[in-house]
Amino acid sequence: MAHQMSVEKETAQAQSQAYEPLLPAEKQLIIWSLVIGVVLLGILIVVSYTFFPGSF
Amino acid sequence: MKNLFKTEDWWSVWIGLFVFVISLFTLGGVDLLGWGVKTNVWMDINKALGVASKNYVALPGLVSLIMTFLFMLIVTSVGAKFLGLDLRKFAIGFTFIFWIAYACWLLGSWAPIAVNTPADMQKFGLNFSLRLTGESGFIIALLVGLVIGNFFKGFAGYLKEATRPEWYIKTAIVILGAGLGVKAASSTGLATAVLFRGLCAIVEAYLIYWALVYFVSRRVFHFSSEWSAVLASGISVCGVSAAIATGGAIRARPVVPVMVASLVVIFAVVELIILPALAMEFLHTQPMVAGAWMGLAVKTDGAAVASGAITDALIRGRAAAEGINYQEGWMLMAATTTKVFIDMFIGIWAFVLAVIWTTVIDRKAGAAAAGAGEIWNRFPKFVIGYFLTFLVMLVIGLAAPTIMSQLSLASGEADVFRVLFFVLTFFSIGLVSDFRKLWAEGIGKLALVYLVCLFGFILWIGLAISFIFFHGLTPPLM
Repeated sequence: MAHQMSVEKETAQAQSQAYEPLLPAEKQLIIWSLVIGVVLLGILIVVSYTFFPGSF
Repeated sequence: MKNLFKTEDWWSVWIGLFVFVISLFTLGGVDLLGWGVKTNVWMDINKALGVASKNYVALPGLVSLIMTFLFMLIVTSVGAKFLGLDLRKFAIGFTFIFWIAYACWLLGSWAPIAVNTPADMQKFGLNFSLRLTGESGFIIALLVGLVIGNFFKGFAGYLKEATRPEWYIKTAIVILGAGLGVKAASSTGLATAVLFRGLCAIVEAYLIYWALVYFVSRRVFHFSSEWSAVLASGISVCGVSAAIATGGAIRARPVVPVMVASLVVIFAVVELIILPALAMEFLHTQPMVAGAWMGLAVKTDGAAVASGAITDALIRGRAAAEGINYQEGWMLMAATTTKVFIDMFIGIWAFVLAVIWTTVIDRKAGAAAAGAGEIWNRFPKFVIGYFLTFLVMLVIGLAAPTIMSQLSLASGEADVFRVLFFVLTFFSIGLVSDFRKLWAEGIGKLALVYLVCLFGFILWIGLAISFIFFHGLTPPLM
């Protein structure tokens, strides 16, 4: 229980601690996610309207 | 090799797979797990308990509940024995935890709390409901756990040996894979166009939403990577399951996903109340856009489907008044399909995050890149269990679509235990958490991130994507 209590203290402290700058890996993760997302979105739009004109 | 039976991580895999394998006997016509308790939304407590399978319909609900408890007690006790826990203390603690947590779950299914559609309000003769869905049982379990953990510390300490939220969470996720595998396989029978358009949900939720929320949380609100990753998954993907799966994948402390999941449930209720009304007012000429928007914007399965159902009813009602009679269920299908696609990829996203966190983000400063052995040691093993159950059900479903009903039965029976392990998790988290301090120092800020992201861009990007892919489509006329 003592360990669990300390975990809770850590949690509270973690939220009030000083800002940890974004790591390069995190920046890459964010940028690549957005780039792939936007590119795939464009591809899906083209494919969707070309191959699935979709009338019920 | 000895670690295979010495860690909670592995025991979540073994217990999850055990439940999964037993459920699969239904494919051979042998129903071994159908006696599991099913909790119905209720007004009359005598009708609250049922069984998972109609093969056991003669079994009284209370007997089913007791059998479910004994089954869970035995399988977890086997694990506890291998983990070197004090079996007597574990059994006593588990017994208390199970029954208190289940009482919370049962209360959450009380109709005035859970009912969220006009049809169900009518069915139960209600004029008012909190519309929290059955998932409110999670919140109740958390709150009761908090009360015990913070005000009855002696009793909480007495339950300590069985207060193991991480173990329960991971076991639930392994079982969850089976249900999502069946969902994925059965969805192929839906209209192809809607299915394909549902794919855009993956792009949006996992790549655009996630990255934006993570960025806002880290850069603007200065949360750590641990909190930000779980928050991003909870807000952008599929609420409770995604937050918990991500928390496990990046090895966050259990309190992190549970707090995020609690916020998700609360905000989903707000969305459930507001969005269908907005959709009826502004999207009644684009009914399929409205349906898809519900699937993309509302972050729990129950609330998303309920939103789709309400939107379906509201827009059809409005259209009927103008002389247009749409067939029922198409807007709901658009909502459900987009939600299913989002659900399907929780495991994949958890896998991707696990690899990134293990190899890069969570690596100690100055340490060399982790080798394959180290990656394996630190890799959350329950993710393997999740993938296994997901893929087995998906492959069987695609290879033999004629047995889809048996697959659904199997996953439904296993899901009884998934839900109960989730409830145990929420209750256990409450027991071990000093939430007074967390509320004072952190939860307000978490809620603010959620609020900013949800109303700042998630709703509107979701609406834009829904419009791009679904505009101009209308349900068939009656």
